[in-house]
Amino acid sequence: MKVHLRYGFACLAVLTLLYVLSLPAGAQDTIKVMPPGGPAPRMADGHPDFSGLWLPNSAGQGVSGRFGVDPLARRQFDPKVTPEEPPSFQPWALAKIKAMTPTELELSKSSVNCMPRGVPAIWLQNPYSTQLVSTPGQLVQLFEVLNNFRVIPTDGRPHTRYPEPLFQGEGVGRWEGDTLVVDGISFDERTYIMPNGWFHSDALHVVERYTRPSMNYLIVEITVEDPKVLTKPWKSAPRRWTLTNDHINEFYCTNNHELDELQKLRTQELESKGK
Amino acid sequence: MKIARILGAAVITAGLLLPAVPSFAHHSFAAEFDATNCRDFTGTLTKIDWQNPHGYFYMDVKDANGKVESWSFQTYALITLKRAGIERQLFIDNIGKEVWVRGCLARNGRQNYAASGTLKFSDGILRQVGQLQD
Repeated sequence: MKVHLRYGFACLAVLTLLYVLSLPAGAQDTIKVMPPGGPAPRMADGHPDFSGLWLPNSAGQGVSGRFGVDPLARRQFDPKVTPEEPPSFQPWALAKIKAMTPTELELSKSSVNCMPRGVPAIWLQNPYSTQLVSTPGQLVQLFEVLNNFRVIPTDGRPHTRYPEPLFQGEGVGRWEGDTLVVDGISFDERTYIMPNGWFHSDALHVVERYTRPSMNYLIVEITVEDPKVLTKPWKSAPRRWTLTNDHINEFYCTNNHELDELQKLRTQELESKGK
Repeated sequence: MKIARILGAAVITAGLLLPAVPSFAHHSFAAEFDATNCRDFTGTLTKIDWQNPHGYFYMDVKDANGKVESWSFQTYALITLKRAGIERQLFIDNIGKEVWVRGCLARNGRQNYAASGTLKFSDGILRQVGQLQD
């Protein structure tokens, strides 16, 4: 019995050692979900202050390209807890999306063609940081990706009479308790809602709801109405962004070899179709 | 003999416990690169292009006949590398030195061009520098 126990411990020790040695460097340091922190700060006018640099994960630090990250820390939401329904497309819109070749789909993506993501995509398909600056009556959004920015009035003003189509649309904010609600219209039709071919029409109406339930968390919920493309409005899960002490970087999209390579691939696709 | 058997079993069990190298879904990996055509490269780092949306590094790699060919490898966006603690200076410090990298080849047939995944410089540390999925 003693002999077996000894072998058992030896076996366990060897297993543990081999497992630890097999891990990539740094993997032993697990990056976990960030604690909520204390209460959210408030501005002089009493409304929540969203100021800070935010990352689209639950870790409060970069997680891509890193080993040893708790899967929960990578997420913005748990689909089991807050499921996100897929969009319900009009038949013609679904047919249009399905007709796209894989390369056409890639070329439509902001991350490939370097066009601005636009609203709401910049809150739904953006792996990079966003700096928010809250002041009474105004929210400034500085997006790291492609150096985009937005200045949103939060004083409850209505939309302008003749808004022009813009990548970020025309957003006007109002407070509902501690939630900032931004109503958006007049979007440039070259943008996509999601990087899966989900395009939009000139009837796109976006509602963004921002809350800061605690110091370290920002929650962004998006509602998309587009009756020409969707059969019913689509609502995102409440997506979590976490506060980081990192800094915002410059991100000009240049020297994109990817675009050239994909265009060559598209030519090959067209040639093979022609045969 | 018994110990050898136990050690053998332990090694096999440990192998099963090895974590898979994490893969990171990226916008265009599957469209641009062939996840079924990946291989290991060992060569000398010669140059880097440190620009967004992707960085590129270049290596002189010997083929099976000993002929040296220059290969280019795509990396993550530079911000992603930076937030993962992989700085430009690390690449600069390794120019002229031996590098190992796992890469997947371009789908459009472009020669000597691949997406990078994990990489090791001479310090032997495994780093994830690109969105390789295999």
